[in-house]
Amino acid sequence: MTEATKAPRRISSGFNSRLAGYYWERLKKNRLSLVGLGFIALLALLGIFGPLFAQDPQHTDFNVKNLPPLGFSIQESIYDIKTDSFTTTTLPGRPDHPLGTDSKGRDMLAMLISGSRISLLVGLLATGIAIFLGTLIGVLAAYAGGWVDNVLMRFTDIMMTFPFFLLLVLIVFILGPSLTIIVAVIGLTGWTGAARLIRSEALSLRTRDFITASKALGASDSRVIFNHMIPNVISLVIIMATLSIPGVIMAEAALSFIGMGDPMSTSWGTILNTGQHTMDTAWWVAVEPGIMLFLTVLSFNFLGDGLRDAFDPHSII
Amino acid sequence: MTPSTRTPSSEADNDYNLNVMNDTVLEVSGLKTWFYTRRGIVKAVNGVDFALKKGECLCLVGESGCGKSVTALSILRLFDSPPGKIVEGRVLYGGVDLATCPTAYLRQVRGKDIAMVFQNAQSALNPVFTVGDQILEQINTHGGLSHSEAVSKAKSLLEEMRIPEAERALRMYPHQMSGGMKQRAMIAMSLSCDPTILIADEPTTAVDVTIRAQIISILHELKARRNMSIIFITHDLSLVSEIGDRAAVVYAGKVVEVAPVETILKKPAHPYTVGLISCLPDISTDAERLPSIPGSAPNPIDVPAGCPFHPRCPKVMDICRTVEPEFCQLSPVQATACHLYDTGVKG
Repeated sequence: MTEATKAPRRISSGFNSRLAGYYWERLKKNRLSLVGLGFIALLALLGIFGPLFAQDPQHTDFNVKNLPPLGFSIQESIYDIKTDSFTTTTLPGRPDHPLGTDSKGRDMLAMLISGSRISLLVGLLATGIAIFLGTLIGVLAAYAGGWVDNVLMRFTDIMMTFPFFLLLVLIVFILGPSLTIIVAVIGLTGWTGAARLIRSEALSLRTRDFITASKALGASDSRVIFNHMIPNVISLVIIMATLSIPGVIMAEAALSFIGMGDPMSTSWGTILNTGQHTMDTAWWVAVEPGIMLFLTVLSFNFLGDGLRDAFDPHSII
Repeated sequence: MTPSTRTPSSEADNDYNLNVMNDTVLEVSGLKTWFYTRRGIVKAVNGVDFALKKGECLCLVGESGCGKSVTALSILRLFDSPPGKIVEGRVLYGGVDLATCPTAYLRQVRGKDIAMVFQNAQSALNPVFTVGDQILEQINTHGGLSHSEAVSKAKSLLEEMRIPEAERALRMYPHQMSGGMKQRAMIAMSLSCDPTILIADEPTTAVDVTIRAQIISILHELKARRNMSIIFITHDLSLVSEIGDRAAVVYAGKVVEVAPVETILKKPAHPYTVGLISCLPDISTDAERLPSIPGSAPNPIDVPAGCPFHPRCPKVMDICRTVEPEFCQLSPVQATACHLYDTGVKG
């Protein structure tokens, strides 16, 4: 381990700008993935800097409840006891709440920005943990072979048999809902697919001559794993990560939707949950986070597909 | 004289020891590497004996699948284990048996004392790093040099391999190099820790004849300049005559004849060696068909009893079918394992 952690200085910097440029050129040819990347970048900017400008997403004001988004208006009938009749007023959207408000008068824009922050945070962190574990376990299993491989892969199989969402609900129920726990649980259970895929890639890598060659020249096991195996599966890791982020975002949203999300934070799932009760009167409360989820998941999928094509030397772009 | 404690000041002891040991740097005796597969035990190496002297080039010659490469891998224990296992024999280097020593010790020996060059440089270089980085990594593995010293050493290694524009070559990725450059870079990499022994496993198979000639002359130089011992594995007898000092003929995982290359080519003793030599096309005769050895190499799972060559041997005798022949010394430099030369049976 000490040998590998003492990373040798390289002639060229570890980041190969020419190669990165080459992949970027290939990725650029896929318009959809660029659109995806653009939307994700926008979302990230919104998540990072949005809260500085937006209103407090937790601030309630019943005077402005159920305001429609700007450009829409709703009919509101108010019963007047003096005349014993209904007066119908038209309630238009207001510029200070451009995306409307929910039934408690909370600003939708502020809530969506807060939600994008949570979704991206959970998505990136949980996927990071999951892919890190998956890569390590996959490469280790493939490299060690024999009983180590057997034990690790049977453990993976067992992990896969658990209904993932049920496990998530159960653990959150026991330990209490908090973002940390949600991230940890998704990360610690979501590595199985990555481990299998990385293992299969690493298995073919292990028999390549350059692995034997580096062993023949005295490299230790950890050096072979960290300096030769992992750099060779890194493109697969990036693709896997990009493609598994949407699942994680959806899982967090679903958890929040059924009311088991972090009560201290406003995520898209939480908003969806409040919105479902007012679907007939204030449809935007449910529709807006739905659109955000839809676009985010789609963007990551487009980006993942684009990356897969860009990294695949056999694909002609 | 352990590889890890060797210092320049102990050179003298080194020489003294080697003289006592008759200049032998590596001694392989009775080596058996078997692979335990589902279809049975593959006896890939089934009793290999040879001794490598300081500054000589020993060729391991034999057909495909006769166990040459596994022998080379066994010296550094580089085969997959399981299924592979050294079941018997010794690989003596510097007084230590590499077949049984701890892996940590073996790792010290690998690269620093015994280095290996592979057949296909294309796949033996890591595609994601520059050649320079890979050579640097090797230099760093066994440590002791500063970054700038290591870089200049890497550069001089490439220059020694006659790679043009070494500075630029250091920054190249394997796919940017030609096959011959890659093979030479590979050799440079294996020389990065100044090993005493270089094992070259068919290093010229994947390159064209001009590069082949270059590599052969580089190996000659290494032998002369660094007094390096080389184990050269090949199936090509013409290569053996170009580079080898001595040759060991391998058949069915066994060494059947050891002799200086000249003797092997002019006065082969073992019927298998005789067969191999007669298969060489001769430009002076006008033969329609090239001669060949009848039959095919034995299945390593099911090696024939007695002498493994007896089913194909033109001079087969009754004893060959049952008794495994012992090595007999025909002259101080030539030895063969064949009943024809057994004292008492002869004639």
